Amino acid sequence: MARWIRFVVTALAFAAVDCASGSAPAVLTFSGSVVGREGDVIRRQLDRFQREHPSIRVAVRATPDAADQRHQLYVHWLNARASEPDILQLDVVWTPEFAAAGWIANLDRFHPPLEAFLAPAVAAARWNRSVYALPWFVDVGMLYWRTDLVPHAPRDLGELTSLARGRDDRGVPFGFVWQGARYEGLVTVFLEYLGAFGGRVLDDRGAVAVDSEPAQRALAAMFDAIYVDGVVPPSVLTWQEEQTRFAFQNGQAVFMRNWPYAYGLLEEPASTVAGRFAVAPMPAAPGGAPTATLGGSALAINAHSDQPDDAYALVDYLLQPEQMIERARIAGEFPTRPALYSTRELAAAISMPLADALAIIERATPRPITPVYSQLSEILQVSLHRALTRQQPPRDALREAAVAMRALLAAARLGPPA
Amino acid sequence: MTRRGWGWPVVTAVLVVALILPLYWAVLSSLTPESRLFAAPSLVPRALVLTHYRALFEEHDFWVPIVNSLVVAGVTTVVSVVLGALCAYAAARLRFRGKAPLLAFVLAVSMFPQIAIVSPLYVVLRAAGLLNSYPGLALPYLSFAMPLTIWLLVGYFRQLPSDLEEAALVDGAGRLQAFREILLPLAWPGLATTAILTFLYSWNEFLFALSFTLGPERYTVPVAIALFRGQYQVPWGQILAGAIVATVPVAAVVVVAQRRIVAGLASGAVKG
Amino acid sequence: MTAASPPPVAPPSWRRREARLAWALVLPALGIIAAVAVFPIGWTVWESLHLHDLRMPWLGRPYVGLANYAAAMGDRRFWSAVGHTGVFAALSVSIELTLGLVLALGLDRVRRAAGLVRTAVLLPWALPTVVVALVWRFIFESPAGLATALAARAGVTAPTWFADAVAAWVPIVLADVWKTTPFVALLLLAGLQAIDPALSEAAAVDGAGPWRRFTGVTWPLLRPALLVAFLFRTLDALRVFDVVYVMTGGGPGTATEPIALYTFGTLLQNLRFGFGAALSVIVFVTAFGLALAAIRVLGSDAFLERRP
Repeated sequence: MARWIRFVVTALAFAAVDCASGSAPAVLTFSGSVVGREGDVIRRQLDRFQREHPSIRVAVRATPDAADQRHQLYVHWLNARASEPDILQLDVVWTPEFAAAGWIANLDRFHPPLEAFLAPAVAAARWNRSVYALPWFVDVGMLYWRTDLVPHAPRDLGELTSLARGRDDRGVPFGFVWQGARYEGLVTVFLEYLGAFGGRVLDDRGAVAVDSEPAQRALAAMFDAIYVDGVVPPSVLTWQEEQTRFAFQNGQAVFMRNWPYAYGLLEEPASTVAGRFAVAPMPAAPGGAPTATLGGSALAINAHSDQPDDAYALVDYLLQPEQMIERARIAGEFPTRPALYSTRELAAAISMPLADALAIIERATPRPITPVYSQLSEILQVSLHRALTRQQPPRDALREAAVAMRALLAAARLGPPA
Repeated sequence: MTRRGWGWPVVTAVLVVALILPLYWAVLSSLTPESRLFAAPSLVPRALVLTHYRALFEEHDFWVPIVNSLVVAGVTTVVSVVLGALCAYAAARLRFRGKAPLLAFVLAVSMFPQIAIVSPLYVVLRAAGLLNSYPGLALPYLSFAMPLTIWLLVGYFRQLPSDLEEAALVDGAGRLQAFREILLPLAWPGLATTAILTFLYSWNEFLFALSFTLGPERYTVPVAIALFRGQYQVPWGQILAGAIVATVPVAAVVVVAQRRIVAGLASGAVKG
Repeated sequence: MTAASPPPVAPPSWRRREARLAWALVLPALGIIAAVAVFPIGWTVWESLHLHDLRMPWLGRPYVGLANYAAAMGDRRFWSAVGHTGVFAALSVSIELTLGLVLALGLDRVRRAAGLVRTAVLLPWALPTVVVALVWRFIFESPAGLATALAARAGVTAPTWFADAVAAWVPIVLADVWKTTPFVALLLLAGLQAIDPALSEAAAVDGAGPWRRFTGVTWPLLRPALLVAFLFRTLDALRVFDVVYVMTGGGPGTATEPIALYTFGTLLQNLRFGFGAALSVIVFVTAFGLALAAIRVLGSDAFLERRP
């Protein structure tokens, strides 16, 4: 029996040692999406970087693909003041949170060429007037429409509804599909409707405005699209990106709101709509403007990194135009340098017409830039979903969300920059 | 029981079929090509393919969570059965003050809701650098495995006749010797049942595994299949294939040890 | 609670030695339980008196007294989570006990292929809850899942299950019933088989019909087993987490969110440790109180003694 116990204790001890030992110093650690095509492209670029900088070695640390899980892992690492990983791929909405927590380095001292990047993406990477991350690739919400079913992209939301209504005689079951499950995607869709009506979540002073008149109209429009106009199927309230893509790809929908990734997949031979669709900015309503929620990733440097200069060298390398174009070609992710959208190289790298892409990207609007964005978003997710699943009138849901958001901002004590 | 009607066999058969049917549907769907998954459901198999299973292991390294689960459940089982047997022997056979409170305490701990200890365990494991590690999962698992094993084994030991041990004691054997040489050989069926049940619970556990693992390299099988999706995807075929793979060890144990498990359940000592 | 009697003559020194040995055997297990279960509870209580938000490290970790508890008491989401937990427990446990009793009575009469039937019954119980939840979620997936398709074939328009605050409970409760009815049935079967068949036969000789025999003989003798099954299942149902996490994530909105899921989300997704700890303590006190009441009702022997 005693032998058994000793065996178990030894086994536990070994396992503990195994997990505690990290890699040796003087190696940069990069963490982010490293599977699939994204993995191919990052490994290629890191290899090239190491060949050009023989004194620097780069190790890759895999992270979960689901945003929540990756966020939790980052918090775990950074909150413990670990010096690794040196470089982090951040979701665009995390930068202010990590900056306010003191977890990522202020990049001002490197004088990054901010004017070369998309302005809203840079804005989303700032906190307290300093820049804490650099935009790596952009995602934007856009409207996919069937060129064989409707004559042109809708010029406003009203026209979208009427075009979507006309589908019945063509045997297309759904007019318009978007991401309506209770998750971050629902908020991104809502922000596009919100912009379409001229509303905001936080106003310029940072005060909560999600119960304003335009916001009420925006949520009412989403609600009516499902229950009054009948152009959006109630199933979308359980759908994320892929379910909408499947519906559109199988020819079941006239319009779809989605990210750029769908474009290449819809052009593949298996798709029934290949060659029969196009993209446009999400249409606006009177009083608002076409809005494309900004997504994507930024690169940041761990505030406790032992080698911030080398880390910045790598970040700078990954943000060079050639790397961005390669990334667009292999992983289908859009560059953050507007200048590239007039180059032949990028036109050759992505399947979407550049003019269309640029027209949408110019509409890119960041989500509220605040360290407590995740919490605000969760409040909004619950309230929006309650309203859209008819558990609460939209007006009450938004009012309740606004109250909860104001309480959160007060509790967070995020005063004006010191 | 005196008359044999048709009523009971039919009712029983219907219930048993109802228990099997969803599982059958899952197996069937895991063998159906992705494009046909949601098209005109039919209970009769048509084109069966192994693509989802192949993708599971080739693209998603499903071996990793399987190994993690085996290690964590295995270590938990060994530690809790070994220490639990010692403790249970003392509680079943030895006389000492404080035994009744001890048993009540063990019973009480087995009623702890897991969610109530998640946050402190998270904080402690993080401070000890054990988050996302095997010991960081096996240790929390002991919080439910230890009471379970003690509880089952005390009941089992008590049920065994004690005269042989007493004879040995009279012959001058020590207590430990009597335990090792007389009780243990008699008790192995009970130990096996206990080990099987502990392993099942550890293999199936979700909340702790979800809370204390941080990345795919340490996910256990339930966590891996629950979080199984790409940035945008819901690959139902592969999810179901993963679910079936997670079921295989459990099903094997049930088929081999069903008699024992039922006996263990009948002891009234096992939670649902 | 009769321990093995010690050898007839037991001098005091021998007794002391035995007690020492007993504690030596008990302590490792006890130490582990204290470290991984009891100590964390104490820590949780302490944590619940602080403001500790991992996502807002700039706020520090000040002592706030009972503020977290006050916040919970005024939190609508908390109370609705409590309500959901209660509704889920009431629904699933009552269905499980009913179906479990029927299944047990049926299994008691199975003579052929008993092993096969037992395996079939045991399988759902032994599956990981995550697997069960995924299988049922797949069946109820909208708009083309099996449940919706079957409903359509029967001429009924099924709701969008997971987008409907009421309909979303159907797959959740079904999955739980499917997984746990076998457990209840086997527990009750053991109770049934402990009943002396002679009693029922004697009643039959006296001219009692099947229903009279059930209400007069089986039911009263089965009551203890039913009570055990009821209490175990209720305590377990109040902890429900896995099924809901996998199936609906608590949605639509928060219409199916039980207390364990709300606590989990607060702790490990929002990383609000102070408030989450207060929720944990409330859950702990409630569940533990109920458990103690259950032990009172049954007597701890019911938990410890093996029935033949």
